[in-house]
Amino acid sequence: MSAHQQGTELDLSWISKIQVNKPAVLRRAEQIQARRPVKKEWQAAWLLKAVTCIDLTTLSGDDTASNIQRLCYKAKYPIREDLLKALNMHDKGITTAAVCVYPARVCDAVRALKAAGCDIPVASVATGFPAAQTHLKTRLEEIRLAVEDGATEIDVVINRTLVLTGQWKGSDFIKTSTGKETVNATFPVAIVMLRAIRDFFWKTGNKVGFKPAGGIRSAKDSLVWLSLIKEELGDEWMKPELFRIGASTLLADIERQIYHHVTGRYAAYHDLPMS
Amino acid sequence: MAATRTASRACEIFTTLEYGPAPESHACALAWLDTQDRHLGHYVNGQWLKPEHRSSVPCQDPITGENLASCLQAQSEDVAAAVEAARASLENWSTQPGAIRAQHLTRLAKVIQKHQRLLWTLESLVTGRAVREVRDRDVPLAQQLLQYHAVQAHTQEEALAGWEPMGVIGLILSPTFPFLDMMWRICPALAVGCTVVVLVPPASPTPLLLAQLAGELGPFPGILNVISGPASLGPVLAAQPGVQKVAFCGAIEEGRALRRTLAGWVPELGLALGAESLLLLTEVADVDSAVEGIVDAAWSDRSPGGLRLLIQEAVWDETMRRLQERMGRLRCGHGLDGAVDMGARGAAARDLAQRYVSEAQSQGAQVFQAGSEPSDSPFFPPTLVSDLPPASPCTQAEVPWPLVVASPFRTAKEALAVANGTPRGGSASVWSERLGQALELAYGLQVGTVWINAHGLRDPAVPMGGCKESGSSWHGGQDGLYEYLRPSGTPAWIPYLSKTLNYDAFGLALPSTLPAGPETGPAPPYGLFVGGRFQAPGARSSRPIRDSQGSLQGYVAEGGAKDIRGAVEAAHQAAPGWMSQSPAARAALLWALAAALQRREPNLVSRLERHGVELKVAKAEVELSVKRLRAWGARVQAQGCALQVAELRGPVLRLREPLGVLAIVCPDEWPLLAFVSLLAPALAHGNTVVLVPSGACPIPALEVCQEMATLLPAGLVNVVTGDRDHLTRCLALHQDIQALWYFGSAQIRPQA
Repeated sequence: MSAHQQGTELDLSWISKIQVNKPAVLRRAEQIQARRPVKKEWQAAWLLKAVTCIDLTTLSGDDTASNIQRLCYKAKYPIREDLLKALNMHDKGITTAAVCVYPARVCDAVRALKAAGCDIPVASVATGFPAAQTHLKTRLEEIRLAVEDGATEIDVVINRTLVLTGQWKGSDFIKTSTGKETVNATFPVAIVMLRAIRDFFWKTGNKVGFKPAGGIRSAKDSLVWLSLIKEELGDEWMKPELFRIGASTLLADIERQIYHHVTGRYAAYHDLPMS
Repeated sequence: MAATRTASRACEIFTTLEYGPAPESHACALAWLDTQDRHLGHYVNGQWLKPEHRSSVPCQDPITGENLASCLQAQSEDVAAAVEAARASLENWSTQPGAIRAQHLTRLAKVIQKHQRLLWTLESLVTGRAVREVRDRDVPLAQQLLQYHAVQAHTQEEALAGWEPMGVIGLILSPTFPFLDMMWRICPALAVGCTVVVLVPPASPTPLLLAQLAGELGPFPGILNVISGPASLGPVLAAQPGVQKVAFCGAIEEGRALRRTLAGWVPELGLALGAESLLLLTEVADVDSAVEGIVDAAWSDRSPGGLRLLIQEAVWDETMRRLQERMGRLRCGHGLDGAVDMGARGAAARDLAQRYVSEAQSQGAQVFQAGSEPSDSPFFPPTLVSDLPPASPCTQAEVPWPLVVASPFRTAKEALAVANGTPRGGSASVWSERLGQALELAYGLQVGTVWINAHGLRDPAVPMGGCKESGSSWHGGQDGLYEYLRPSGTPAWIPYLSKTLNYDAFGLALPSTLPAGPETGPAPPYGLFVGGRFQAPGARSSRPIRDSQGSLQGYVAEGGAKDIRGAVEAAHQAAPGWMSQSPAARAALLWALAAALQRREPNLVSRLERHGVELKVAKAEVELSVKRLRAWGARVQAQGCALQVAELRGPVLRLREPLGVLAIVCPDEWPLLAFVSLLAPALAHGNTVVLVPSGACPIPALEVCQEMATLLPAGLVNVVTGDRDHLTRCLALHQDIQALWYFGSAQIRPQA
């Protein structure tokens, strides 16, 4: 992740001036899914780009050191080596953007990644994930402990009580939701957020990143997300520094698609290593 | 080798993240053309018609110029054959129960669904439009149209009792309009029991394919016939015996020419003209969404025309920035590429756009184009024109595809003035998050359709049409059905105009009238009834009116062009007040007038008697006139707005608006009843009227005017007496009259 936001004076008139027409945004969201198909080698290249933007995530109550280790290994080798070789991408350092775990598992992840010999950052959800309805003091302590353990990126769940009462705070990255809600990353919501990011950039010159999380499972979805970023923000946002996809099962589908692109055959489940 | 190239390509794309081609295979379109040996004829009576000794035109891929097929050009005999087929199948088709027609339309919808790939690739291939638009919008909408109208056919006997199909319908399509425009018109026509002959421009295979799909369904082969030929065959089609209505969609100039040629020849002409649209962006709008609306309207291969864009000054800079940024992301390319926003439309459309751009530039406008195309390229880039001086000729001209002409406005009032300041009145959209403002602007726009915070949404259940020069025909919904229906029992229409009528000389000369001696009996009211009072005519002369015995009944004023001008002006002044009256108030006035007529009955009866009408008949005429006024007064209450909810994520408000100033030329027969019967519906619907009463017997009408002077607001009804032909000419040449109802010896269509 790049240098932190310098921040800017809070000007609530920016927010009060925003107009969002919901039916129009819904129409745009429908359009964007049908207007930019990406095929053949373009699809393969875009899927690899999507891989490098994934925050490979496990946020389960039963996470242990062993499945964290497996996850970290998959983060380092997200696509089978021979497939990458066929695309001549084996020496381009294709890894996922980060590994994302609960604070208590940060140690395990850091250790596993060190053992695998790579510098993929460890991201941790913190601050009373996913509801954030705990005391400020414990939430700050949680962040401090996670950083102490070696996490370099923190997914902060904002206190929505403050938001709903109009007390906003700034951020380096904004995320659609925790991924644990009933509705998570949807295109209409993303469109509104991306437009806000662009407006903020035009006003201040600061680039805020964007991370959709939850429910992104298919390779096709990831392509739509990338084209959404390209259409609304432009190429400069299509990189892990400014765009992340929070996902756990997405990677498997991408790998299957790349397998198909390279071999012309659809993979059986046992053809590809699990994460 | 191939593998390596692919590999290096992927590596490169990984860095640039560009879009690649996403071609749709059009093999099936070519295969279909092969079934016709790449040689298309006409589809008539369920089979291909390929007469010999006809010239043919090539059907070309507009992007590569590759010859795809050759298409026969129809001649008069082919048109006659098609109309004959439609006529022959009319009897059978129109007498089928609605349920059977519904079933047939449903089957056609299913066939389209089954062969949609063929449809969309063929259409995109030959028109050059983006396949995404044809595939995701046109083809599904075509199916929905068939299904919607199947339901209408099913319920026709109940819902449309008292109405019958008109008969054979001629439909003329102009080259810029996609096959969907044909569907909007043939679906309602077929549903209500009409049969159709469609004249499509040369080299348009999609309508032929549709006709084939419909024809192969079996039992009713002749209900849809498609012939391809030049626009000059339009009048030939219209003049065929049995054709009861001609529907046309195309350019304004073509429509006007057709109207002139067909005056008196076709009972009904439904025009849908021009393709320009308007987008009004206020300062309280979701600007990003509005920018998408602009893309939908002009740069997504949806509309065949361009867009006039009005932006409120406060958000001008912001909008321009967003718009230009968005334009940079639009993709032009081969229509069959699934990731392309805009295809090519052929040389004619490109040259038209280029001419407009050069003209605008020479008048000092700023032109922004995303990317540049070499002059020999088949593509024309999305283009934004701004700073066009308000008085330049370009501002008045219709904006062609794919141009957007932007101009600023300061207040809502100014926006309406600018928006309504063109002769066109097709469609528009208003973008504002303030409900009150959005509705106010929508009410104020003089166009057929207004979308709020959206542009170009269509649904089969929602009627759409235009006003002013954009034509007055409607398609979609109930209103679309009535375009092809007439009240049961209406006699079939017979052409009544000799081709030799000279429009230039018609009604030009005003015969001079001389004093014819003193009046006998009580003198009738004298003067032209204009602006609520009797006025002396501009010509300061009078014409004698004789009764049935030939003795002088009185003098009426001799009206002329200046009197018409004055009357129209008075009518326009009264229009806003009358329009804003509540239906109840309008009904009350009509009833008051009816009561006044009743009071004056003896007087009116004696006037009619002197004109040679039997006492019994005269009494009946007055009685019936009173009844008519009451009946229309009662019907005022029933009109108003209907609220429909379609699948457009919002409600649809259908408003019935008055036309404005109506001119009515009454027939000679039934001098009082005709006068009242024509006046009453015009007033009931909120119009103001300039009326020429019966030439032979204008006095009863003038008697009624005496009552109207005290009852009605000044200028609401204006009655001008004089020479009928001359007054008709004056009315037709007045551009600010919204409609002209003419009953009489010859046909002069309004030029307005």
